[in-house]
Amino acid sequence: MATPGFAGKILLVDLTARQTRALDSAPYEAYGGGHGTGTALFWDLCVAPGGWDLRDAFDPRNIVALMTGPLAGTGVAFAGRTSVSGLAPQTWPVNWFGHSNFGGSFATMLKFAGWDGVVVQGRSESPVYIDIIDDRVTIEDAAPLWGLDVWETQEEIWKIESVKAPVRYGSEWQELGGRYTTQRPSIVTIGPAGENRSRIASLIHGGGSGAGQGGFGGVFGSKNLKAVAVVGTGSIRVADPRGVLEARKWFEAAFPMSGQRGPGRDLAAGVSCCTGCNRGCHGRSRIHGADSDSCTELIWAGLPSPPYAPTSTEDMWKATDVVQKLGLNASDLCFRGAASFPSLPGSAIGDICPANTGAGWYVKRLYDMGVIGPGREVDTHPLPMDQYEKIEFAEIFAYAIAHRIGIGDLLADGLVRFAERVGRIGDLDSILRLPAWGYMDHWTMPAVEWAYGNLMDSRDINNHDMQLGPTDLMSCEQYVTLLAAASPPYSNDPFMFDYSWQGEQAAKTGIYSEHKARFVAWHQHYATYYKESALFCDWAMGNYFNPSNPDGRGATPEAEPRFLRAVTGKNQSFVDGIETGRRAWNLKRAIFVLQGRTRETEKFAGYMYRPGASMANFGTRLPVYDGSEWAWVDCRDLYLDDGGVERWKTAFYRIEGWDARTGYPGRGTLEALGLGHAADALEAAGKLGRA
Amino acid sequence: MAGDEKPSKRTYTRRDFVVGGGGILASGALTACAGAPAEAGEEKTYARSAGYLVYDSRLCSGCQSCMLACSMVHEGEACLSLSRIQVSRAVLTRYPYDIQIAVCRQCPQPLCVMQCPTGACHVSEAFGNVRRIDPDRCIGCQACIRACPHRPHRTVWNPVTGKSAKCDLCADAPWLDGKGGPDGVQACVSVCPMGALRLVGDLPSQADIGGYDVDLGPRPARSPDGAVPEAEP
Repeated sequence: MATPGFAGKILLVDLTARQTRALDSAPYEAYGGGHGTGTALFWDLCVAPGGWDLRDAFDPRNIVALMTGPLAGTGVAFAGRTSVSGLAPQTWPVNWFGHSNFGGSFATMLKFAGWDGVVVQGRSESPVYIDIIDDRVTIEDAAPLWGLDVWETQEEIWKIESVKAPVRYGSEWQELGGRYTTQRPSIVTIGPAGENRSRIASLIHGGGSGAGQGGFGGVFGSKNLKAVAVVGTGSIRVADPRGVLEARKWFEAAFPMSGQRGPGRDLAAGVSCCTGCNRGCHGRSRIHGADSDSCTELIWAGLPSPPYAPTSTEDMWKATDVVQKLGLNASDLCFRGAASFPSLPGSAIGDICPANTGAGWYVKRLYDMGVIGPGREVDTHPLPMDQYEKIEFAEIFAYAIAHRIGIGDLLADGLVRFAERVGRIGDLDSILRLPAWGYMDHWTMPAVEWAYGNLMDSRDINNHDMQLGPTDLMSCEQYVTLLAAASPPYSNDPFMFDYSWQGEQAAKTGIYSEHKARFVAWHQHYATYYKESALFCDWAMGNYFNPSNPDGRGATPEAEPRFLRAVTGKNQSFVDGIETGRRAWNLKRAIFVLQGRTRETEKFAGYMYRPGASMANFGTRLPVYDGSEWAWVDCRDLYLDDGGVERWKTAFYRIEGWDARTGYPGRGTLEALGLGHAADALEAAGKLGRA
Repeated sequence: MAGDEKPSKRTYTRRDFVVGGGGILASGALTACAGAPAEAGEEKTYARSAGYLVYDSRLCSGCQSCMLACSMVHEGEACLSLSRIQVSRAVLTRYPYDIQIAVCRQCPQPLCVMQCPTGACHVSEAFGNVRRIDPDRCIGCQACIRACPHRPHRTVWNPVTGKSAKCDLCADAPWLDGKGGPDGVQACVSVCPMGALRLVGDLPSQADIGGYDVDLGPRPARSPDGAVPEAEP
């Protein structure tokens, strides 16, 4: 019997053979669920059989693993996301094994259908969608759905499913094989962007829950897979039902979620949540679409101002809807991004430079520079460049990309490949702010653990949980001591939070030191398990410092094991979870190495090593130790030193138990984690580290 | 604990009728149609429940925490299909029609009680006259399922146990932390992050189906697009 919290089986769908089968979840529980289990499944289904170089995300042998964690559907708040794992086509220059995730109701519904995840491999000869009704799984013809946007697709599937066992959703109980539900199927789907194998195509569920990064919508499209629909009438066993609800009440009382979007009683609009959550980061009330997030998809078409007038709210919504409907990753398309700032005098960046240089901004920049345009080698057709400031431009822009029309065909493969195609890859050293692997600069610097995490993983890691800043509650030294206490097993190393970036101190205790390397390792282990596998939502956890508490105490590391213990019944400590994350993280490292990752390939884009590298808009005041005392220092001028980063990498590899020369994991490290099979594979490939 | 104040009632419209499925039969008419066990010509009266769940469908976030909590405290496991409060979301439908909430109305003339052949579904004097189903007496005939005039029916069928269940205001909730019932706590009310559920002591208006969908808190003055989100047919 499965551990409480888990459904007990994983659905495997082979679209080439049009067959489905169930895998036992139990052997994969050691990886925690979610992305951890997705990593182990990728190994078993893609690496172990051998015969390919693991570098093409559109190869039918790639999987897309939609995995839940043990907490979805159990009443634990902010734990209802679905992880997506597989080779990611957006990643550049290699489609590194990657991940994304999305919220909503899909994970909960999949669990109630009796599945911990659904893994799709192969390629269908014709468009299909996968229909899951409890333990009945069918592969359905999606020809009538191909070409529809993400909302039209869901409406059509609901119509189809409501006819199979006739019901008016919400008003009647639907009878499904002797069981009953009032719920409509939860559906994740692609739009035209995914159908056209855009490398920046997203997966959309509901109104706007999306797996944006990685281009997994393109993977769906490459498999002729339009959607996965699931409805579940079953139940999930939890070890301690009373304990789960008590833990939830305890958390809400002990750790008010300040500073983040929460229950929106004071919002001027209706609030919506993912299943089981209490954060309220979605909205209900817009005319053009319901259940929409208020993140990048809401602001992507905002123009850089000055010289443009601010984009009206109504136009922003039009842009939100078009990018959601088409199933495109908004962050790659930004016209301005979250902030823009004047770069430093004499910097290599030039004049006012948006912090997020998305395709919308870049296309205009190249047009103004005369690099692209009508009659040039790269024509800007069908974009009406003289109407750049109108919202219609953004709509045409998005449609052209989703449907690969004209310049849209080049942009559909992502911004970094577009730069390559127009002969401007050198812009990564200056105006094109993609820190690593072709992904957008987010809030990547000056809080360098985000940047380092991007580099050692394979995407923008969305490090929202680490938002440091001054507080009136305590001194800087007390603050870093608190953060360290929240980071077992490294609770006695406050220098993990030293952002000294210049001079000797940077190497001694600061951003190039083993202390920072230790923190990044810890944070990747934490994120791999708690955020990506157990699937606590990034908007709530980790919570290292909570300003609502007089002593600043956050929920981490107390809350995570409390919830997990109540659900699973396992006496698992916080550090046990860190080890689970380390296991999956090392298996992922082995996959990267087999794909060709080496120490030499792990380098930031050139602009990161130049003045102006940091996003100097907010979150720039960080703890700095000057050799004798701590202080909050504005680090907006922080940029990296190549030698310093290489020093950091050496320290990081050693802490991880990897070969410092190559970045390859050593056998001892892998075997201690139960990954001897990975060590064997690396050895056979001549890539086992000596560590 | 049932509140003393009476929340203001939301205006209900024809659109809501269509969306809600039309369960608006007046309890007097229902009594005439109920048949057994009341003798023809006799109108049996039932003590009113001391508590009623009311909700605010505009404040609700659709998180379904109430459903998960309900099944957890009653069944010991999380299950949307066994929840005695049902929240369904039409995420691509315009606010405020995107969320429908179905609570047991603790009807003054409870057809589920009237139709039960064994008395399993009964008015519980021990628990403030809440209408509840005794699982030990339920024989799984589903008369209560058919009897409920509201859509979706508020009585819930458990295909595993072969018995019916219904909202009892947590009177009999083995995994509830604390005392349930009309003078106790309800798991759904406790867990709701939006304060969109409340237990009240006064019988909500039975004249239309909007008596239970009430104003429980700060509500949107207007949508970000500028429109005032009134219910329109």
